[in-house]
Amino acid sequence: MYATTYHRPSSVEEAASLFTKGTDARYLAGGHTLIPVMKQRLAAPSDVIDLAKIPSLVGIDVSADAVTIKGATTYYDIANNAQVRKVISALSNLTSTIGDPAVRYRGTIGGSIANNDPAADLPAAVVALNASVTTNKRSIAADDFFKGLFSTALDDGEIITAVTFPIPAQAAYAKFPHPASRFALTGVFVAKTKAGDVRAAVTGASQNGVMRVAAIEQALKANWSPSALDNLRIPDDGLTADIHGSAAYRANLIKVMAQRAVTAAS
Amino acid sequence: MNVVTNNKWIGQSTIRPDGVDKVTGRAAFAADTTMPGMIWGKVLRSPHPHARIRGIDTSKAEALPGVKAVVTAKDIVEFPVDKSVMLGIQDMRWMCRNVMAREKALFPGHPVAAVAATSEAIAAKACELIEVDYEVLPWSIEIEDAIKPDAPILHEFNTFEGKPSNIAGKMELKKGDVAEGFARAEVVVERTFTTRAVHQGYIEPHACLIGVGADGKTTIWSSSQGQFMVRAMTSLLTGIPQSDIRAIPAEIGGGFGGKTIVYLEPLATMLAKKSGRPVKMVMTREEVMRATGPTSASTSTVKIGATKDGKIVAAQGTFYLQAGAFPGSPIRGAAGCSFSPYDIPHVLSIGYDVLSNRSKVAAYRAPGAPIGAFAVECVLDELAEALKIDPLALRLKNAAKEGTKASHGPVYPRIGYVETVEAAMNSEHYKAPLGKLQGRGVASGFWFNAGGESSAQVNITEDGNVVVTTGHPDIGGSRAAIANVCAELLGIDYRRVSVIIGDTQTVGFSNLTGGSRVLFASAMVVTQATEQVIATLCKRAAKIWEIDPEAVTWEEGAARPAGANAGKFPPLTLKELADKAPALGGPVGASVQLNTQGAEGGFGTHVCDVEVDVDLGIVRVVRYTAVQDVGRAVHPGYVEGQLQGGVGQGIGWALSEEYIYNKDGKVDNPGFLDYRMPVCSDLPMIDTILVEVPNPKHPQGVKGVGEVPLVPVMAAVANAVHNALGKRFYALPMSPPKVLEALEVAQAAE
Repeated sequence: MYATTYHRPSSVEEAASLFTKGTDARYLAGGHTLIPVMKQRLAAPSDVIDLAKIPSLVGIDVSADAVTIKGATTYYDIANNAQVRKVISALSNLTSTIGDPAVRYRGTIGGSIANNDPAADLPAAVVALNASVTTNKRSIAADDFFKGLFSTALDDGEIITAVTFPIPAQAAYAKFPHPASRFALTGVFVAKTKAGDVRAAVTGASQNGVMRVAAIEQALKANWSPSALDNLRIPDDGLTADIHGSAAYRANLIKVMAQRAVTAAS
Repeated sequence: MNVVTNNKWIGQSTIRPDGVDKVTGRAAFAADTTMPGMIWGKVLRSPHPHARIRGIDTSKAEALPGVKAVVTAKDIVEFPVDKSVMLGIQDMRWMCRNVMAREKALFPGHPVAAVAATSEAIAAKACELIEVDYEVLPWSIEIEDAIKPDAPILHEFNTFEGKPSNIAGKMELKKGDVAEGFARAEVVVERTFTTRAVHQGYIEPHACLIGVGADGKTTIWSSSQGQFMVRAMTSLLTGIPQSDIRAIPAEIGGGFGGKTIVYLEPLATMLAKKSGRPVKMVMTREEVMRATGPTSASTSTVKIGATKDGKIVAAQGTFYLQAGAFPGSPIRGAAGCSFSPYDIPHVLSIGYDVLSNRSKVAAYRAPGAPIGAFAVECVLDELAEALKIDPLALRLKNAAKEGTKASHGPVYPRIGYVETVEAAMNSEHYKAPLGKLQGRGVASGFWFNAGGESSAQVNITEDGNVVVTTGHPDIGGSRAAIANVCAELLGIDYRRVSVIIGDTQTVGFSNLTGGSRVLFASAMVVTQATEQVIATLCKRAAKIWEIDPEAVTWEEGAARPAGANAGKFPPLTLKELADKAPALGGPVGASVQLNTQGAEGGFGTHVCDVEVDVDLGIVRVVRYTAVQDVGRAVHPGYVEGQLQGGVGQGIGWALSEEYIYNKDGKVDNPGFLDYRMPVCSDLPMIDTILVEVPNPKHPQGVKGVGEVPLVPVMAAVANAVHNALGKRFYALPMSPPKVLEALEVAQAAE
């Protein structure tokens, strides 16, 4: 790791201002990507601005229609929030399977979706639940937020302050975890809105990161049941092929995980 | 034989002496050590699978501020290729070229130079500044490529059947006449199996800290399975005499055979000698995966014939094992152990040692035996199916017993194989019903076990307690077990016996921790040393009482008058005699050094249940019972731990572990994120049944236990998968994509 200047601002405004002053500043949330990359000397930011201790970025609000999770709230806090479990248990379950306890104590929702790792779990929840991402500048709809591998709609220096999830009628997440990292080799989040609309988001399977699968959504909208997907064949074009599994294996995983998610949601 | 039946400590799972330090983090591993003035060493490794080294220019690295020394092959003693110099099972011709590439770099990760600098970062930077002129050569990774007639030859001087070849050796074991045997067979099954290279997977990477004084006196702290092996190899590779090298065994974070050779020590010694500073070297996990171990990948063909009543009449095995870049794959284990559990009149077992552009293999827990057993035990399963005989009944019918001439040579003394099969058959597990998509498999296994050189000192402290010093690094619980043995003989509480592992200059030569030798050998020397101490103590009591030493016995921690004198004097305890030692002839202690003989092989029989997720091809082991003849479980907790650890490693080998090579001939998964060792959540609780048929040639009846439990596992898992799915896998690992593909193919065929 090269030398850097570490900052711990107490407000979002201060953080944003520090960012503009640095020659190559980076925000630090949970640090699960940035710190290893710095250790490997693949990144050498001039300034590291820690968002995890900003009071206004931590907390969860649950209303009648939505769950709003502040940007620097940890996976652990989300997984163990009783109100969240009551209204969107899929989100509690998802966050309780990210990494291991040490990861969950440190990792944050904002850090995860800002990083947009193609195998991260939370992007699937954000997309399937049709959440909106609030930043220090604006609000961004889930479908507009993720822009492919490690990229998002965020501008340079923009900070995610909260993510708001509309409460669905039914939802569940099923993932096939990489057995060592617990990242999703493939994870599928299915949600049925109170209005009866169905959204299905897949993570881990595509190099471009999280994606919706129209065929699954249509089939489930017609029939909210695992058997609705029995005859579905997911094409493997564009799916990730690596030492852990071929594109065809991941295509099968999308279908099976979607079925298991529907079973869990019903 | 001196097997005491009414034991107080032998057979107890006493508190392990290294436990507190390991739990609290106080235990000192090699990477924890520091010395004043210490600097850091790093290795420059070849990026090519195969390349001639035309020249190395280290001048830019040497000029970098902070760099204190650079070494290349020129600094390592060369052993000419035409003359073998053996140290144990290692040939120094290959060792000198493995620790530092000489004429050619033979695998990606092969060291070509090493640098010592004031920081790790400077050392790493200096490595980048070394210019190596490589002539890149064609290469081969897989066995089938390496044995093709036009394969690129790794070592031009290596010939097989008169021609340059990558076959570095052949071993043939013969009993009877297989042609005659197969002629009598009514059912014959012949199959070919492949296994992938797997790493020992010790959690602690290789590490050492080495200081060389101005007078040449050298001190080594390192992680190894044998401080004497480290001293001898370092001496041979640096030219420093053994008397000047003190090799201190650090606590070891796992070895499983992989730390029976050196990698860093000769380099760090030469860097320390050149720089005049102590040099520390610690491998990264990636270096461990690319340049150390693993065990061989293999291709095996096994043919077994039986008569309709289930009597096996002939067996033949051909085992091709990968050696990596230098000769020395464990063909002896594959060819020699695979048929050993059985009484078969006609056996032909052949092993081939195959070179390819991979890192040199190192020993891995019963080296070669699990590979052979995978093939043999799966064929037996098919044979049992064809004969409609219970697979354990088939094994029982053909089981080797006392008097059986083993396929690998010896005539067995009293052995406990039959008892392991019977215990498995009678286990609750074997009778338990199976659930949906579940299957059950069984397999047996054998390992030679070993004895050999061992030294120990038993010293009575001035306050009447005991210090035992032995010479084998403790990987599997030898300190705890030795404390039990010594305390038992002395009749004192085991907590009064402190067992330590001496360094090379403080205890006599002891062969490395390997071959499941350590408790067998060290209990033998410690028993003799303790008996000598007891004899001395009895003599001293006799002197005090003014009676014949023969009229004194040692019981329950004290000398007692016996025979005609019984009861005449109050007993003299160890503490009292220690107190009187100065006046009675001085300190009490004994040192024993032996080349221990009488190690007997060990047998195990395993029962495995799996459940298959047919949508995703995932095999999960849901229940597992390992039965083993352990001779005598001196410390049952540790023995169970050995069985459970071996099974865990075997399940990894069967289901998920493999070296994956990319198109450039490099390992694509050199870390635990991508190389899949099982973790606790992948495994069920592994049950054990310890069968105790004492070794008649050992004072406590000890047999080696550490290696046998890996031998049957892959076959037991594969047989269980077959039982669950009706589909047999001949290639490991049975990873989810492969299992799913096989299921889809089967479905399509229906």
